[in-house]
Amino acid sequence: MEAGLRIICFICDWAFPEWSIETPPNVSVIQVKCIGRLDPIIILEAFARGVDGVIVVGCKWPDCHFIDGSLYGERTIRLLKKIMALTGLETERLRLEMVSPIENRSLSSIVEKFIDDIKDFGPLFKGKEADKELLFNLQAAEQAVTWSRLRMLSGRERKLTEKVNVYGERISQEEYDRLIEEALEEEYIRSKIYLITKGKPASVEEISRRIGVDSFLVLQHIVTLRRKGLLGVDRIEGYTPLYKALEVG
Amino acid sequence: MRGYVKKFPPCRGACPAHVNVQAYVCLIQMGKFREAVEVIRRDLPFPAICGRVCFSPCEDACSRINIDQSVAIRSLKRLVADIEREQGRVAVKPVPKKYDEKVAIIGAGPAGLAAAYELAKLGYPVTVFERMPELGGMMRYCIPDYRLEKFVVKNEIDYILGLGVEVKTGVEFGKDITVDSLKRDGYKAIFIAIGAQLSAKLNIPGEDLEGVIHAVDFLRSLALGKRLNIGETVAVIGGGNTAIDAARTAKRLGAKRVMILYRRSREEMPAHPWEVEMAEKDGVKFYFLVAPKRIIGEGGRVRAVECLRMRLSEPDETGRRRPIPIPFTEHQYEVDMVIPAIGQVVEISCLPPEIIGKNGLIEADPVTLETKIPGVFAGGDAVTGPASIIEAVGAGKRAALSIHRYLRGEAIEEERIEETTWVKDWSLLEKKERRYESPVEKPHLSFEEVRAYLERVQRAARFEAFRCLGCGPCAECLAGVDLCVKDKAIVDESKCVGCNLCVEICPFGAIVKNESGVAQVNEEICKGCGTCAARCPKEAITLENISTDKILSALSNALVVRVV
Repeated sequence: MEAGLRIICFICDWAFPEWSIETPPNVSVIQVKCIGRLDPIIILEAFARGVDGVIVVGCKWPDCHFIDGSLYGERTIRLLKKIMALTGLETERLRLEMVSPIENRSLSSIVEKFIDDIKDFGPLFKGKEADKELLFNLQAAEQAVTWSRLRMLSGRERKLTEKVNVYGERISQEEYDRLIEEALEEEYIRSKIYLITKGKPASVEEISRRIGVDSFLVLQHIVTLRRKGLLGVDRIEGYTPLYKALEVG
Repeated sequence: MRGYVKKFPPCRGACPAHVNVQAYVCLIQMGKFREAVEVIRRDLPFPAICGRVCFSPCEDACSRINIDQSVAIRSLKRLVADIEREQGRVAVKPVPKKYDEKVAIIGAGPAGLAAAYELAKLGYPVTVFERMPELGGMMRYCIPDYRLEKFVVKNEIDYILGLGVEVKTGVEFGKDITVDSLKRDGYKAIFIAIGAQLSAKLNIPGEDLEGVIHAVDFLRSLALGKRLNIGETVAVIGGGNTAIDAARTAKRLGAKRVMILYRRSREEMPAHPWEVEMAEKDGVKFYFLVAPKRIIGEGGRVRAVECLRMRLSEPDETGRRRPIPIPFTEHQYEVDMVIPAIGQVVEISCLPPEIIGKNGLIEADPVTLETKIPGVFAGGDAVTGPASIIEAVGAGKRAALSIHRYLRGEAIEEERIEETTWVKDWSLLEKKERRYESPVEKPHLSFEEVRAYLERVQRAARFEAFRCLGCGPCAECLAGVDLCVKDKAIVDESKCVGCNLCVEICPFGAIVKNESGVAQVNEEICKGCGTCAARCPKEAITLENISTDKILSALSNALVVRVV
């Protein structure tokens, strides 16, 4: 079945000279200028479209053409792995490989090793009931990373952990990880609520049952979403209000 | 381009020919070696020659010096030029003649050839007149083979000739042709680049003894294939690069002891330090603070040089320390051969007297290179005194531009060059050792080893190129190379909320907030990496060519192909 695995390889324009880019036929190479360019949405979207594995090849610091662009790319991948763990995707399906021009490595060997490692997982969508759930999860994750909270926090990761924030405080990597995981969990649930109510108005009870989260917590998130102007009350059936996602213009 | 301020990175600004260093180093980073040579050829017709013997002012100006060492620009240039030569380059096509005005160039040295190259590219019919049987001037005749191989020179000159430059060798200026005769023959502009061919005289007794041969003559007769009697002990007088060349050549030709006598100390030597080092490795002995007083002969042949010890004065207004002889310190060196190498002078006897300036050089405007005779331009060593190849190329390029403007009746104006570096924070950058130097000697390899060797060298070169900081703007680095499209971050002001995130993460400091709190991209600094676009919380920053949508459509294209 390994021929069936669809692999996407995002590589930095500068990581390999053009004449050395050779990959197996089931791998598509997409050149991005720098792996710092990789928006988390792009990789999540790749998985949502049924790609079985994504490998990102960038330049090891300090060989990045854009000074520290690849360091930002590295942080994005780390964030993505956390998101993937939440959605129930095997984190091994995403790999970051940092290369340096002096190393005697060919792109095909890197990719082949990656394929070899994820061979056992098989295709991402297995054509079963669980696929729907996974797709929904991925869409929710995509929604979550488009919102500014996660982007703001993840974009500032290097500044917060390596330098200081505007108040002159510096937080440790563990502290940061705790913060981002917290934010991630909340945003993930919120985006799920948002996606469900986008289809048709739903009550707290329905949402709670659908995503398996305590109804009290769901209500809390709904309050936040309403404050943000993302959610509104559609109508009230009996004593139960039904919520509906609002289009953000 | 008149009256225009050009913004160059330091390397390009420092180069007399303004070769686009950043662009080709950038292309080497990407592994595009052939394109790199093409980029060099836009400004400089001699990539392989300059890759070997240029004194690389670009490396001295390199910003990387602030962190560790400069990027090995010259070695990289040599490598790409050599790869191109060995793998065979695309055949040159003659440039169609756009204009009718014939241009005569006197002297086929670096200045003359560079001018011919530029004029031929512009579409002028150019004729180069050369006295010697081969083209190349000092590059061909006075740089010894171990530094610059003759076939390399020939290869580079063939490229220029391929553009449709006409050549007449064996024609001596002042004898066979003169300014007037050329004008009669219909040449509308003349560029005199005769160089400084004569050796300066020592002016001491015994200079005409047998066994005294001036360095330029010595090197030239070797290049012409004459056999010379090399003595056992050779004294070279002088401290310039020619002196070092002569000394190392003499050593290679079998002289047992070679010494260089120089009247100042090591610090004042005009020769490049690495040349001095190489000479020392070859076994050349250096004697500093000695100046020859007379050459003692025996039966018409050289027997010894008598020298005086010197001391250095305090630095004068110009900052130079003059050597002052110490009386009664005469001493002798027993030698069989003396090679004075104390500089060259211009052969003014062949020139029209109007254009000869005071100190035995041709008088020409320093910017436009015009002489007093209208339509006659002059440049290179003949105007500046002995200098370097790259300076001569610079002069040739300027002359070509002036000739073009003169023939088109345009005013000649100067362009100002501003140096720029836009590196945000030096301390951010890690020190990296130099990883590539061009080989002193080529290894002898078997057929199987060559591939691995080449790959290793190319990898090392790319690695070295990655040390470039890219001081110039992005447009500088690859603009118009057709390989990199200018792509800048664009801020959608209606979406921007002024969160400052992009300002913080831009690796180059290209984004600043304006008074109204909206992010603004400085297009000259932005290199379009897209790091900000991938993180903007409001998705207000986009890049035209690598927008998220474009990457996603590339993704779907890739998937569609897979399914079929």
